[in-house]
Amino acid sequence: MRDDVGIEMAGLRKRFGATQALDGMTFAVRPGRVTGFVGPNGAGKSTTMRVVLGLDAPDAGRALVGGRPYRSLRSPLTRLGSLLDAGALQPSRTARNHLLWLAHSQGLPARRVDQVLEQVGLADAARRRAGGFSLGMRQRLGIAAALLGDPPALMLDEPFNGLDPEGIRWIRGLLTSLAVEGRAVLVSSHLMGELEDVADHLVVVGRGRVVADTGVRELLAGVAAGRVMLRTSEPLAAAEVLSHTGATVQVTGPGTLGITGLPGEAIVARLTAAAVPFAEVATHRATLEEAYLTLTGDAVQYRSADSAAGVER
Amino acid sequence: MSGVDTIGFRRACRAEWTKLRTEAGHGWLLLGLVLVTVGVGAAVSAGVPCPASGCGQDQVRLSLAGVSVSQVLAAVTAVLLVGGEYGTGLIRTTLVALPRRGTVLAAKATVLSGTVLAVGSVAVLASILAGHLLLPGAGYTPAHGYTQLSLADGPTLRAAAGSVLYLVLVGLLTLGVAVAVRDAAVAAGVVLALLYLFPLLSHVVTEPHLQRLLARLGPMPAGLAIQATTNLSHLPIGPWAGLGVLALWAATALFLGGTILRLRDA
Amino acid sequence: MRALHAEWTKFRTVRGWVLGSVGAMLASVLFLLVGTASSNQHPQGVTALPVGPGGEAVNDSFYFVHRALTGDGSITVLVTALTGVLADPAGGPGGSTSGVTPWSKAGILVKESLDQGSPYAAMMVTGAHGVRMQNDFTHDRAGLAGSPSTTEPRWLRLVRTGRTVIGLDSSDGVRWAEVGTARLPEPATTVQVGLFVAAPAAVQASGGGSSSPATATGDFRRVTLSGAWGQAAGGWQGGQVGGDAGTSGSYAPGTVGGWTATTGEGFTVTGAGDIAPVVGGPALGPAFTVETFLVGTFVGLIVLTVVAVQFVTTEYRRGLLGQTLAATPHRSRTLAAKATVVATVAFAVGAAAATMSIPLGELRAHATHFAVLTVPTAVQARAVLGTGLLLAATAVLSLALGVVLRRSATAITAVVAATVFPYLLASGGMLPSGPAEWVLRLTPAAGFAVQQTLPRHDQVLSVYAPSSGYFPLSPWGGLAVLGAWSVLALAAAAVLLRRRDA
Repeated sequence: MRDDVGIEMAGLRKRFGATQALDGMTFAVRPGRVTGFVGPNGAGKSTTMRVVLGLDAPDAGRALVGGRPYRSLRSPLTRLGSLLDAGALQPSRTARNHLLWLAHSQGLPARRVDQVLEQVGLADAARRRAGGFSLGMRQRLGIAAALLGDPPALMLDEPFNGLDPEGIRWIRGLLTSLAVEGRAVLVSSHLMGELEDVADHLVVVGRGRVVADTGVRELLAGVAAGRVMLRTSEPLAAAEVLSHTGATVQVTGPGTLGITGLPGEAIVARLTAAAVPFAEVATHRATLEEAYLTLTGDAVQYRSADSAAGVER
Repeated sequence: MSGVDTIGFRRACRAEWTKLRTEAGHGWLLLGLVLVTVGVGAAVSAGVPCPASGCGQDQVRLSLAGVSVSQVLAAVTAVLLVGGEYGTGLIRTTLVALPRRGTVLAAKATVLSGTVLAVGSVAVLASILAGHLLLPGAGYTPAHGYTQLSLADGPTLRAAAGSVLYLVLVGLLTLGVAVAVRDAAVAAGVVLALLYLFPLLSHVVTEPHLQRLLARLGPMPAGLAIQATTNLSHLPIGPWAGLGVLALWAATALFLGGTILRLRDA
Repeated sequence: MRALHAEWTKFRTVRGWVLGSVGAMLASVLFLLVGTASSNQHPQGVTALPVGPGGEAVNDSFYFVHRALTGDGSITVLVTALTGVLADPAGGPGGSTSGVTPWSKAGILVKESLDQGSPYAAMMVTGAHGVRMQNDFTHDRAGLAGSPSTTEPRWLRLVRTGRTVIGLDSSDGVRWAEVGTARLPEPATTVQVGLFVAAPAAVQASGGGSSSPATATGDFRRVTLSGAWGQAAGGWQGGQVGGDAGTSGSYAPGTVGGWTATTGEGFTVTGAGDIAPVVGGPALGPAFTVETFLVGTFVGLIVLTVVAVQFVTTEYRRGLLGQTLAATPHRSRTLAAKATVVATVAFAVGAAAATMSIPLGELRAHATHFAVLTVPTAVQARAVLGTGLLLAATAVLSLALGVVLRRSATAITAVVAATVFPYLLASGGMLPSGPAEWVLRLTPAAGFAVQQTLPRHDQVLSVYAPSSGYFPLSPWGGLAVLGAWSVLALAAAAVLLRRRDA
């Protein structure tokens, strides 16, 4: 699908010395939704973004923004807004001037600078030196730069880093509204929990390639299917009854059982029929974190190895 | 670069100019460039006496002596224009905003040239004025065979204009080196070595032929030949040819820097 | 002590800095090789300068009319005239005028042997400095003033008793005054004694200095000998000691060395050259000095400046300084520890590079047929030690300016522009010698004086100016000026570090 708004990566490979940072990375970021880009540190998330932005040249494969290579764009910030390293500022320049030169580089008017400063809540700090900003303010300034060109696509690397709870809430709202406006949004994180309730779609990566490319709802449904927690004073009797139905029963604690393979209503019906007393039946709601761990069950082994190699750049 | 992209280039220049003028250090450096050029020039003009006719001094060169000191300020300005970005990681932001790297370097070179040209002109004109006022007092009088320093004099005008160009070319040489080595400190070291080591070497070399060769090859000794107005036939290299040597150095450095910028990951 | 250990660990664990320090050493040696790449265009010239009893390079070339003396004895002469011929520097090739150079010499000499550099004692009249007694090249004492003439001649006498030689002068041959005594180191029983004439080249101080040939002629009368003189065929023998006039002189056009006996035990002797230590400047000619071999110092200095500045500015940039100061809350102590580390590294680099450069340079000089101006071992050791201290002081200056200016490029440029550039300006002949000397007194470039091994001798005329390698301050005095700058900068850095937020 040739999409003139989204971001597409096809077969990206990149080697740094002995480390294969990207090993056939292929996926697409579609408009109108927030795509979470998840994986352990060193899985190749930042490298992928740097390749998309033309900062690193891939050894093989290509990345397209709105159907064109980034380095061929004349006003790239109006096609793709990005946040890579919020600390990349010259400390003596004010926030407004930092955005001003960026605006000039894209042929944008100065008024656009004031608009985005307002939008990210930095209007009061606009004429302060960026060197004195807190990490959170720098993130906001970086996001302002990403929004500057009013781009149809955005790519944010770890935007939650250094934000306080209020800031995290703000950025979640922002990301959702950007997607609702029809933009393609790619947000990377090494913590799945940060993307809870934000991402509509997930690209899970490990060792430089895509491990899973799936919708969040499908993912959760798959993981949560039929895991029920049962509290009862007679666990042995309950297990006896339920095991006849073909469900898998595990003893998870004194007086608690975990059942898979049978929906909650059926369990209640069977136990009632067999007159086994029970105190609580709860359908377990899987978190994104759990879904992620299930998906990357074997990817956990990468985590220590890859982060030790320090691939993340 | 695919073709000539005037709009992209103009935007890049505008962005670089905004960067330059909103970075606090540059203003001080450029002010320093003017003050050092004029101050040293005036001190030399007043402090190197011409006690009798035929004292063998080139009064134009004396009045412009400050340029040989202040050139390092032009170099530092150029280093900071690039090195500051590598030091903070801002270079990545720049290249994300302006992904055509050739255009970025061209814009930086243009903005640097324009700035140094303007500031250098002020500095050189003020130095000539200082020389005009101070040299007669130090004995550079018609009685000793000197006319009062004036830009109406062809060689003087050439030396003055050439000195401004010299500062610009030193800036461009530095810019190229800084982009090539991608570190402010190393760039400063390399440029100072390029400027100073040739004359130091020719100080050691006792062989006259090799001495002249070094004076022809070194960016500083060759480039400063543009300031000479007397004894032209005895110089190791002619004024414009000397400035040409410096221009070649600058062009080589910019080419090298441009190539590295284009080929390497940022 | 703990702060010092921490800073040392920081320094040695950054690969670039270690490589930079080693690279500084290698680069300075490499620069020396580049600097000595050319070979002498006149390889038939002197390839080694004679060395005097004190270990210093000397000129020992003169016309000598001599005979052997075994045991004790004396020689007495009357000098009635010292005249000469000077090449006319403006008169084109072959042009000459009459005149004597100020240190033209005619007199009597007791010399251990005819080998160049052997010990001697001499009494002489000079072109402009009256009667002198000189011995072993570096010793010079004044006798009667004025120039000799037929109406006002000068009597000279040397008396050898064992190892002691006494020099006396007289204006009438009756009343004698002792000018000085000298001891010949070896109690050699046979020495060469006789009449000599030497004329160092004329020196023009203008335009950085140049020299032109000169010849002198002395008229001697009433040569009287006492003691056990050897009776070789004809008694007296004449010849040019050293074969030619040496590096310090040459015969003026149309003149040759020689002697004729005149009536009344008289002689007329014509000669050129000099019996004197070699000094720098126009008289030196194409020869290498220890300073030449230490030219790599400049490269080492630039590289070490980069390393020393980065040693502190990277901490500012990466925000590491806050962490460092948290670990060592006494900011001055941190600064002192950092300064100690860079100074030690720089000293090691400088001393090691100099130690390697001097023998390597001598090899290069030999290979390229250049003479080497040998200096006493103690002077050479001072230059080696001084190079280390020079780089140590510069490294401390760099570190301090790195703290003050916080930007590495600015600090590096400031240091190099304050050390190398003034040196270049002053020694490169861009400034007249007056302002040049002030530059080398006041700026940190004064420190390069510690590398000066060129000797300065009042009895040798030369251009003792920065353009010929002479510093206005003594070696240690110059280094002290640089040291003062470093200490001042370090103090400023300490104050700023205490006042500023990290």
